[in-house]
Amino acid sequence: MSDVASFPYVAVKNPRGEMALRPLLPVTLAYGGTTVETTGLLDTGADVNVLPYHLGITLGGNWETARTGLQLSGNLARYEARGILISCTVGQLAPVQLAFAWTQAENVPLLFGQVNFFAEFDVCFLRARSIFEIRPKSLP
Amino acid sequence: MISEHLIEELRQLNRVEKLRVIQMLANQIAEEETILANTEYEVWSPYDAPGAAAILTEMLEEDRRRNE
Repeated sequence: MSDVASFPYVAVKNPRGEMALRPLLPVTLAYGGTTVETTGLLDTGADVNVLPYHLGITLGGNWETARTGLQLSGNLARYEARGILISCTVGQLAPVQLAFAWTQAENVPLLFGQVNFFAEFDVCFLRARSIFEIRPKSLP
Repeated sequence: MISEHLIEELRQLNRVEKLRVIQMLANQIAEEETILANTEYEVWSPYDAPGAAAILTEMLEEDRRRNE
């Protein structure tokens, strides 16, 4: 397994046609034998990881049995959210178990937040060079 | 920046043409401000969700204990 994974910022266009560079991280999510390759936004301001509804369904998550009682904030406050644990692999790093707030919102991006993505990985944002680096927390 | 050439051209317009230019610009500004006022910016980040964070942390701890 590699020690550090490095990724480029990705240029994305918003609905108003404005371009911006975003730290979008390619990952492989695994749940109950199903794996999905996708990208998620590194959101240091988010208290929790957020999983959009359709992605949880694609992974085979069972909404009915997922942990209830999660209350999100901001635009997500009006959607019900439940808790789900999903294995996440970043590049060649060892997989980690991430807890997600699985929201019924459909058009929200996959978000990596403080609980618990940033508790599992140290992230270095080298924005001036348009790259970011990720290393497991266990490394010195 | 408005060029001197454009200002000179506007000065040479007759009264009716000047009024049309004023009306066109006023309409455009009003339209742009309406668009801005009606635009909903989607900020999904749950930056203040300590309750959800506590539940997810509890789930991770339960999972860790199950796998010990």
